[in-house]
Parts: sequence; C-alpha cells; structure tokens
Amino acid sequence: MSEGYSIPRREALKALGVLGVGLAAGGLVQGTAEAQAQAPALGQNESVQDAMKRLFGGKPIKDGAAVIKFDIPLIAENGSVVPVAVSVDSPMTPASYVKHIYVVADKNRIPIVTRVTLAPEAGKAAVGANIRLGETGEVRAIVEQSDGTLLQVAREVKVTVGGCGG
Amino acid sequence: MTDIGKVRLRVPSTIKAGDVVQVRSLIIHPMERIERDQQGKIVQKNYNYINKVTVTYLGKTIAVFDTTQSVAENPFFSFTFKATDPGQLKVQFLDTTGGKYEGTADIKFS
Repeated sequence: MSEGYSIPRREALKALGVLGVGLAAGGLVQGTAEAQAQAPALGQNESVQDAMKRLFGGKPIKDGAAVIKFDIPLIAENGSVVPVAVSVDSPMTPASYVKHIYVVADKNRIPIVTRVTLAPEAGKAAVGANIRLGETGEVRAIVEQSDGTLLQVAREVKVTVGGCGG
Repeated sequence: MTDIGKVRLRVPSTIKAGDVVQVRSLIIHPMERIERDQQGKIVQKNYNYINKVTVTYLGKTIAVFDTTQSVAENPFFSFTFKATDPGQLKVQFLDTTGGKYEGTADIKFS
C-alpha cells in the first residue's frame, strides 16, 4: 500500500521542484532583462574562434600594442586567481573614447572572461580584474573604440595549476 | 559562507577636484564554476556567479562589467573615474540567483 502511494508522491514532488526552478529562472530573467538583451549569455561553453565570431563578427582586429597596456603575469602559479590590468592610452571625450574592453582567455572553456563597458566620464580607460585560467594559453585584451575600431593585444601565460576545474 | 555579498571599496584618501581616480573593489562571492558528472558532461543548473557589475557616480553609469564564470572567486575589479563633484560612488553587483550587493563610497575633496 505504501508502495503504491510513494511513487506518485515522488513524482509530484519532482514536478514541484521543476516548477520551483522554472519560477526562479523567470525571476532571474526579469532581474537582468537589460543585460540579457545586450548579450544573450555572454559566457558560453565554446571555442575561442566561435566566441570571437559571435562578439565581433568578421570585423578586422588590428594590433594595438602601441596604445594598449596589458598587465598580466607571464607565469601564473595559481590559475584560479590571475590578476590582469588593461589600460588604454586614448582620450576619453564624448567624441572619441574607449567603449568596450574585452578580456578573452583562449584556452578557457568559457573563453570570454569579461566585457567592460565604459563611459567617457571614466576619465581614463584603465580596468583591472582577477580572472581564472584553465591552462597555459594566450590571453587577449581587445579594445573597441567608440568609432568601432578594434585593437588587440595577446599575451601567452603559463599556468602551473589550472583554476577552471570541470 | 555568510560573508557572501560583502563589498569592499577602496578609494584614495585624498582626492582633488578634476582628478582621475582609481578605485578598487572586492566582493566576497563563490563564483561557482561549471561542474561535470562522471561522464564529463556538464551538470545543468543555475550556477551562482556574478554576471554584472555596475559603477555609478553622481547617478551616471561610469562602467559596466559583464562577467562570466571565468572570473576568479571573490572577484576584484578596478576602474577609474573622473572626480568632478563631491558625491556618491556606488558599485552594484548582480549575480545569477537574483542577489544584489552594493558598496558605496562618498567622494569628498580635501
């Protein structure tokens, strides 16, 4: 008798659980609707080529070594915390400023690490963050200026202990 | 884990009007990474990580960081802003579970 009851109950609970998850997801979409509209899930499990294609289409990316200062350790002992800093030698006026700074780690399962959107009021395009690196590979800083020009600097980072897990 | 959402903001102690000021921010957050099961398949669930950091100064948005799981645990972000008037600098962190964490700093000129 108890056998007969326990299965529907379990099913019912499972259904409730699914419902709960659905509700939570619904609330989430509402909360970050703006972010979602801008970028449908920025971080996706994909190869770096796909990620670059998705972000920049086929636009040419120039070498930005002259204007971009990209600070990242050459050897990262611990891949789970790697400090990076990107600063761009560029005016920050409403007419010409740095619009986006992307950090892309080629070998990460989620290659796009962060996208920073800046306003001219920032005064200077200089940002920093702590990122994770799964394994040794190139890390790129890509700068998009307000006129759409893309500049890139890539740096090879050796990772002793990977930090991306999974 | 009770510290989740603790925000620390560091601004220089002396700021002059017109300076471009660098601010450092840190938040205590687990930034869950992708888990895989025994077959190496990704476990589908709602991972709790910060996906948006918004910096506002005098009500204007200065910088927005859209972040993914490739950002380290207890993430640190630095950014700059041009101090034009005294006022409030606010950094807001949003995570994927709907969590909203804020840190503020009052910008005063000396």
